[in-house]
Amino acid sequence: MPAFPYLFSNSIFRINLVTIAMMILAGLVVLIVLRLSIRKLDMRNPRGLQNLIEWAIDFTANMARDTMPSEQVVQWILPLAFTMMAFLFVSNWLGLIATIAIHQQQPIPWLGITAQSLAMAHGEVPLFDSPTANMSMTLGMALMVWVLSHATGLRRPKQYLWHFVKNPLGIMEEFTNPLTHGMRLFGNIFAGEALAGAILTMPILFGVVPTGFPFLLVWLLYSGFVSTIQAYIFTILMTLYVGQKSFHGGVHHS
Amino acid sequence: MQVFELGTFLVSIVTFLIMFLIIRRYGFGPMAKMLEKRRLYVETQITDAEQNRLQAERFLTEQQQLLESARHQAKELLDTARVRADELARDILSDAQTESRRLLEENRQLIERERAEVLNGVMTSVSALTVELSEKLLRRNLSHEAHQEMVREAEKLLGELIC
Repeated sequence: MPAFPYLFSNSIFRINLVTIAMMILAGLVVLIVLRLSIRKLDMRNPRGLQNLIEWAIDFTANMARDTMPSEQVVQWILPLAFTMMAFLFVSNWLGLIATIAIHQQQPIPWLGITAQSLAMAHGEVPLFDSPTANMSMTLGMALMVWVLSHATGLRRPKQYLWHFVKNPLGIMEEFTNPLTHGMRLFGNIFAGEALAGAILTMPILFGVVPTGFPFLLVWLLYSGFVSTIQAYIFTILMTLYVGQKSFHGGVHHS
Repeated sequence: MQVFELGTFLVSIVTFLIMFLIIRRYGFGPMAKMLEKRRLYVETQITDAEQNRLQAERFLTEQQQLLESARHQAKELLDTARVRADELARDILSDAQTESRRLLEENRQLIERERAEVLNGVMTSVSALTVELSEKLLRRNLSHEAHQEMVREAEKLLGELIC
């Protein structure tokens, strides 16, 4: 296990600083790209980055339309769905582009880097990593979606309760869904980084032949694919979960 | 080694929500607004085009109707004029015929009347002359009755002679 720097490392309320910092970085990247794309907004002849972003928004909207009951809900979820997809896409790719770690020999107690954790990590302290390779973070996202879906459902309490009465096994799903939702994302990204890290430790023959290089190339390509797909899957599941509980609006529009 | 980090869990939710709000406010918002504006613009354009097409069609139909009615009217006018001209010609002709007939009749009556007058005058003077002549020739006095008888006879003879 790499020795991540933690805040409040001795309490139950441990905060992984790298994860939070990488989240902010991913958010900033999304924000900067969006700002660049809207720098020269043109309604009649969009060009360059604007086209790309418009396509992405359109893609997200179509995805939401496939999984949600009404156009009203689609328009409501669209900002969140788009942000979520762009954010997760950037987050997943951040760890692929680079993972930076420093070798730290001295323990830093206030950041939770103890002698023990350093020994376990062979002195490696990561500073640049996918935030989605952290289980707590992905579960947090999943919980947020879960809360959002139930809040949406509770706008129509009768129908909300009735759909549990109709399908009692659905109550079980309410617990497994957020868990698998978060763990799926974490698992895929974490596995990608772990295996990439393992390949990097393969020996270099005679000091010049990196045996791991072809494996690394193939694995990085595959991880890139998985990163993209996982961002898509997480978002489409989000729209699906919220759509399943959107009892309102479906009456006006179908 | 605890894997689940409650702090990271909660703070990541908060971080994401903050990032989301910032991105929605400064990144997604303007783009969405522009997309909405474009959607409205396209919708307006389509509606306008449809309305214009409908209007054009309506104008075309109207024009065709007008043309048709104008043609109809012209034909009607022509027909009426022709009928009236025919009538007028016929009237004039018949008037002229009547007039000529009347004139002919008048003249004939006039001639008739004058002839009758002349004949009357001639007859009167001839009968008087005849009586005088016969008086002179016979040299005798005739009774008034015999005289009247003779005048009547002479008139009758003259009438036969004329007719």
